[in-house]
Amino acid sequence: MIQSILDAISLGGLYSLAALGLGLVFGVMRLVNFAHGELITIAAYTLVLTTQFPLLLSLVLTIFVTALVALIMEFAIYRRLRGVSPAIMLVASFGLSTVLQRVYEFTFGALPKSAVVAPSLSGVVKFAGLSITISSVLTIILAVVILLAMGYLVERTSLGLQLRAASADFRTARLLGVRSNRLITAAFVLSGVLASFVAFILVIQNPVVNPYYGLNITILALVGIVIGGISSLRGAALGGFIVGVILSGLNTLLGNGRVYSYTWLFITVLIILLVRPGGLLSKGSELERV
Amino acid sequence: MALLEISNLVAGYGKVQVISDVSFSLEPGKSIGIVGPNGVGKSTLLLTIAGAISPNAGSIKLDGTSIFGMRPEDIVRRGLSLVPEGRQIFSGLSVKENLSLGLTGRRDKKGSHEAVERMHELFPVLSTHEHHQAGMLSGGQQQQLAIARALISEPKVLLLDEPSLGLAPTVIADVFERLREIIHMGTAVVIVEQRANLVTSFADETIVIRDGKVQSRLTPADATNTDSLNRSYFGAGD
Amino acid sequence: MRHGGVTKFSFQNLFGPIIIISALTFFVGRTSASLQLITQFTLCYFMMVLALQVFVGNSGVLSFGHGSFALIGSYISGMLTAPINIKGHALAMNQLWQALVPLHTNIYLALLISAIISAFFAALTGSLLMRLSGLSAGIATFALLGVTYNVFFNNKRIGPGSQALPAVPTISNTYILLLLAALAIVVVYLFNISSLGRTLIATREDAMAAPALGINIYRVRLIAFTLSGFLAGLSGGMYVHVAGTFQVQDYYLEFTFLTLSMLIIGGSASLWGALLGTIVISTIGQLLLMMEQDLPIFGIHAHIPEGSRAVIIAVAFVAVLLWRSSGIANGKEFSIPTFWRK
Repeated sequence: MIQSILDAISLGGLYSLAALGLGLVFGVMRLVNFAHGELITIAAYTLVLTTQFPLLLSLVLTIFVTALVALIMEFAIYRRLRGVSPAIMLVASFGLSTVLQRVYEFTFGALPKSAVVAPSLSGVVKFAGLSITISSVLTIILAVVILLAMGYLVERTSLGLQLRAASADFRTARLLGVRSNRLITAAFVLSGVLASFVAFILVIQNPVVNPYYGLNITILALVGIVIGGISSLRGAALGGFIVGVILSGLNTLLGNGRVYSYTWLFITVLIILLVRPGGLLSKGSELERV
Repeated sequence: MALLEISNLVAGYGKVQVISDVSFSLEPGKSIGIVGPNGVGKSTLLLTIAGAISPNAGSIKLDGTSIFGMRPEDIVRRGLSLVPEGRQIFSGLSVKENLSLGLTGRRDKKGSHEAVERMHELFPVLSTHEHHQAGMLSGGQQQQLAIARALISEPKVLLLDEPSLGLAPTVIADVFERLREIIHMGTAVVIVEQRANLVTSFADETIVIRDGKVQSRLTPADATNTDSLNRSYFGAGD
Repeated sequence: MRHGGVTKFSFQNLFGPIIIISALTFFVGRTSASLQLITQFTLCYFMMVLALQVFVGNSGVLSFGHGSFALIGSYISGMLTAPINIKGHALAMNQLWQALVPLHTNIYLALLISAIISAFFAALTGSLLMRLSGLSAGIATFALLGVTYNVFFNNKRIGPGSQALPAVPTISNTYILLLLAALAIVVVYLFNISSLGRTLIATREDAMAAPALGINIYRVRLIAFTLSGFLAGLSGGMYVHVAGTFQVQDYYLEFTFLTLSMLIIGGSASLWGALLGTIVISTIGQLLLMMEQDLPIFGIHAHIPEGSRAVIIAVAFVAVLLWRSSGIANGKEFSIPTFWRK
């Protein structure tokens, strides 16, 4: 029971981080970056392929590589699509996602790569007669720390203020002097950093990395930001958390019927959207801008 | 040399041309009013000068250098700020955060603190509501916030789009009183207004725009002359 | 800029696409048996792209849910025509609900039934989904696809589940598929120029102004969604009778993205765009496949490494969007001058 609750919270935390990465980029340029999953994938590859280095170095390298790929995405593709309708940008990001999957397949092979990342972190601890997996506890701690750091960045720093303003009204923000290109670049770098941490947590649980490694979590995070309320970062984080908790809860509750957990998850999503089209945290008056 | 010099400006959205030929110039410490019927492109004109819409032809010079086609974030750093139509304050952010955003457009980051103080002196209501959500302010207070947010970057030219929109007459008088102080301190101001006689009597010069062109130029003396105001507004011979 | 300006009936707008698709089917289909099969699959995809054009193209609302309708169309048509002994005894089907076993019709009736049921399913789901717009609609339709896929993939009482339903009878005559495609072109064209279609296009151009003009967005979108569901169901039905097997996986993400890409590459705002996108992507895909297999193209061998086909298609897709975000046809319908100018 305790383990199930911990699993639910840790999955929620993990999806919350993934949703935040998507939400940051969406906020500043109304882009649903489906290729965020491929950022998670490249981060996972880097982690698995650099296990010979000390963990910290491996993590730093991963963040560097992932942020770099995020920057390439922005400079090569998305910068040229500014002002195009969000639907077209979304579809373009599907295309980009496919491109990157194929490139990974080409580079790393279609067969999965695997290596144990941070072996000390996978295992079980006994605590007051209960056995609890280290990874679930670690995920929760990491997610809380990163969410707090992001919260500080968004709520307390000048960059965060600009991000919030630009998410609300990009044109007015620019009229006040917010540098659009720099801000969007920063959002992509941050989303790359978040993707690295998501990948770090994922590979501890499942170190078998294939070209589609980040796809599933991205779809679920995407669902999360929409039900949470896409117009705010809080909504994104909350929505991601809810999706993680629901999915984990369904897996526990349904037992043998867990093959249908996606059905129930998606039905829940449909109900939430029909009741609150703008997401849980949207204000009633706010009309869809996308 | 004039501070702001617009000549033969052409602008619009995509292929739709809204402004077809507008010229005017503005000296420091002076004000220009822009009036005209709804939908003639007054807002488009201001947005184009501020860089939010790319101009198609003509020239825009600020302090002798061309700002034609520049990005809005660069134009504000050169000393031209816009208070957009409908105020466009960030209602979810606090009053303080709204003001801080205005600081992004400052050329030098030194003196930011003093600038905030100055805005609080000029608009005392902002200091009392500093930590409140901007969306909670009244219309007049929001307008003051919008002006302060644009002024805090210490622009040489301030553009205002319909500052009287949705405000009660006494509040309008108050806002225009502040504008007079701002002009007095040396800022050049361009005001787009629906209330033609208000702005004509206020500004040093007022231009009437019709069909995307400057149709006539008025002086404060014309404000009392309803006839000439109407004529220029609705076109000669109407 | 998108143009919604095509409102009057025009012979070249309607018959141009029909002539082109007929000519291509005729010439390419006769070249070789493998190309004939490719042509048949392409006609199925084209039906799906047409279905997407009716709704996504005209309304501007993205739908990832059309795979559901194709899946249902394919499943019904497949189950109605597969031999009774296969349904009764094949290893993959041993858990099948026995009531489904004796149901059997001929192919054409099965196609009609499957399209009608798909349309009905679209109307049913649409009555809820059409209240949404923008990104919420996109995600909700995605959720619909997820639910349909998940249920059909896991439930072995109603179908083959994760395995294949074999021995579905095939339509060997390509011209029957061509006839269906041509009919669909006529239907879609007439819909697009009807007052209903024009209203829908108007809501795409300016969703805010529609209520002010007395337009009930919900109603027009729902009608288009239903028609679109009919065509998507038909497309799934055609597909299963070309492939000869039914597999749930055939109608999931890859199918959805492939057909959406075809629509968007061609230009979602016009029927001509739908056709152009289908032809361009199918042709490039086929040429690259031949290059991968080192087969001669007009006598020329241009070998590319295996697996690079997918990369090139995806790169080309992104490149077209960078070049012209409204697609190759750019909102225009077929006309002889624009055709020659290209």
